[in-house]
Amino acid sequence: MLDYFILAVHSITARKMRTLLTMIGIFIGVAAVVSLISIGQGLQDAVTEQFENMGVDKIMVMAKGSFLGIGDKIFEDEDAEVIRKTRGVKRAGGMLYKSLQVSTRDETKYTFVTGIPQDETKEIINSMSSFTITHGRDLKKGDRYKAVVGSWVHQGKFFDRKVDIGDSIQVEGKKFEVIGVISEIGNPQDDSQLLISLDVARDVLEEPDKLDIIIAQVNPEENVEIVAERMSKDLRKSRGYDEGDEDFTVQTSAQLMESFGSIFAIISAVLIGIAVISLLVGGVGIMNTMYTSVLERTPEIGIMKAIGARNEDVFKIFLIESGILGLGGGIIGVILGVGISKLVEIGIHATGVTFISAYFSWYLIVGALSFSFIVGVLSGILPAMQASKLITVDALRYE
Amino acid sequence: MIGDFFILALKNLRRRKLRSWLTVLGIFIGITAVVTLISLSQGMRDSINEQFEKIGKSRIMIVPGGAFFGPMSSSASVDTLSEREAELVNKIHGIELASGIISDTGVIEYKDELESFSVWGMHTDSERTKYYKSIGLLDIGKGREFKASDNHKAIIGHKIAYETYEEDIHVGNKITINGIDFNVIGIQNEIGTGMHDSLIRIPIESARELFEKPNNIDVIIAKVADGENIDDVIDEIEKVLRKYRDVDEGEEDFSVQSSAQTIEQLNGILAMVQGVLVGIAAISLLVGGIGIMNTMYTSVLERRKEIGIIKSVGARNSYVSLLFLIESGMLGTVGGIIGLLLGYGFSKVAQLAASMFDVSLVPSFGFSLILGALLFSFLIGAMSGLLPARQAAKLQPVDALRKKR
Repeated sequence: MLDYFILAVHSITARKMRTLLTMIGIFIGVAAVVSLISIGQGLQDAVTEQFENMGVDKIMVMAKGSFLGIGDKIFEDEDAEVIRKTRGVKRAGGMLYKSLQVSTRDETKYTFVTGIPQDETKEIINSMSSFTITHGRDLKKGDRYKAVVGSWVHQGKFFDRKVDIGDSIQVEGKKFEVIGVISEIGNPQDDSQLLISLDVARDVLEEPDKLDIIIAQVNPEENVEIVAERMSKDLRKSRGYDEGDEDFTVQTSAQLMESFGSIFAIISAVLIGIAVISLLVGGVGIMNTMYTSVLERTPEIGIMKAIGARNEDVFKIFLIESGILGLGGGIIGVILGVGISKLVEIGIHATGVTFISAYFSWYLIVGALSFSFIVGVLSGILPAMQASKLITVDALRYE
Repeated sequence: MIGDFFILALKNLRRRKLRSWLTVLGIFIGITAVVTLISLSQGMRDSINEQFEKIGKSRIMIVPGGAFFGPMSSSASVDTLSEREAELVNKIHGIELASGIISDTGVIEYKDELESFSVWGMHTDSERTKYYKSIGLLDIGKGREFKASDNHKAIIGHKIAYETYEEDIHVGNKITINGIDFNVIGIQNEIGTGMHDSLIRIPIESARELFEKPNNIDVIIAKVADGENIDDVIDEIEKVLRKYRDVDEGEEDFSVQSSAQTIEQLNGILAMVQGVLVGIAAISLLVGGIGIMNTMYTSVLERRKEIGIIKSVGARNSYVSLLFLIESGMLGTVGGIIGLLLGYGFSKVAQLAASMFDVSLVPSFGFSLILGALLFSFLIGAMSGLLPARQAAKLQPVDALRKKR
């Protein structure tokens, strides 16, 4: 068996240029696939992690067609009350977000301001968030014009000037005292936000009882999906909509995660599908090289057969040769692919989005290597069959 | 002379049929992928641009708050605009007419069914009605236009009338908006953009009452006079409004968008998606090109003797190199032709598949796409043949004749 390998390696190294070109064909495709998968996987992991922080016992109620509640403000306190009273709900609370004008002494910018309730429903909102307070303190009941700021605001990455605890900051012309800073979340939007208490947010927006999104936590012994069903029914009734016509959506955190997952799956399938085409082309290249190799070595094959090599021996030699071409291309491709996605990762981090990192699972690497080996072997089957079926006398006589 | 070269190259390619076909296969797979992707995404862009053509390019929208997309974003900001500002904009040189609109979401009830839609409160004097018509906002299919004296009357979009409620809404029917009765006096023709077809228009006085917005307006819509430069007019509007609202440049609490800008933004996003997809598909073309190079190197190696003979009977280096270049160029071009045909087939199949899901996706085959694909595949072939051809040309006749392989 080892002899076959030595023979194959020998004939591969005998034609360096052709081998190199054939391998380039494979490794370009493998590098594209590996880097696309690892970046896509990293993106998906980052999003999944954010959802996992929410916990599986949460249900979100948002305006239909909105993204996480950003859009029309359709809910009011009484909707939150309906949700709270739904059987199986432990507690529920709502939030308000809006992009508002925020200014320091010498700068004015727009950023998202989130109104968070400070009564007993605060806990549910906090249990969903992945951040902690790094400086100062959190908002508490009774706080009026106080604000907790994102880490970029604190570090001076949002405004030119750093904003510290005790500084004042204006939201739509109203003065707020900065009392705390939250830990870095890893994307520019969240790290530039301001958290204020819900009552104050409503004063500033002049919307006395509106809510963007209502979050409910389900009692531990209840089935989340069933409670969600019940909740949409109650809410439909109180808002006066028929089934299918409602202006809101009720989603459990598992459903939310699933819908994100399937979007990712579609996008990566399309991208990888297109990238795999180049692997296919690379495979055709291997086939071509192997046919050429068979042609060139026809007299050699004749000699091997004349001194007693069986058909399957000849077949094996050529198959191993094409497998090595594929695998060699795969190894270089994996190394290149890892390099490319590391470069992309550095690029992404440079824009301030630090929660996304390329992810290399061992089965991606093993998968890429075995796939390229298989491409090599498959492309070699026809040429190897041709070689093994050569008639000895004809082969010896050839040219 | 050059004809002989082509005949010679063709003969050589046909002598090694299998290898030539495999090489061509490598190219046409890539060209097929690229052609399919470009024609489909180009078709998508064309249809978006066509929708915007209907709306008109000279339309400018001014919305309060930071720069977001379209008038729907007015609900995402607390800032408002006033009638006074609409008048200021109206006076700017280069503006044909500017008018304020109240935009909000209303719950519309018809025969006990509730749905929510965007509601626009608009001025109803004849001058402005004519103007709205000119920018494609009013296109009454049934019923009549607003009159200045109208109150609690509504003109509804095509989709609301015929595709939303169990029973179609007709002119003369009564609907309620947020609980207040309105008479439907007109139904718009289908425009084809979701936003316009599901819009309800009511007189601005009714809207002020309905949404409790006594003074402010949500959007200013303006039309640039013919022959004026839209960008200059936008600059002027920004200057006037900055002064009125007392904000510095770069800190505007309003944004001015023209439909041309919106098209540009959308086109920019689509171009990026197209670029990524085509870029990935082009990788396979690169691989195919390397396949050509490989085939040509092999071919040079095999034909050393032949090259030696050609040279010893008087062929110049440039002839030998040209011979091989034509051969590799042919490989590329044939791959391109087959790829183009296959790509055309694939995008027609995609169109058919999309139509089964009621999605209209018409691939666009521009002259430039066809010519570009052919030229590109020829170039790939010729370029991949460059190095092998040079190697062939530089062979010494004596060495070439002597060496067996």
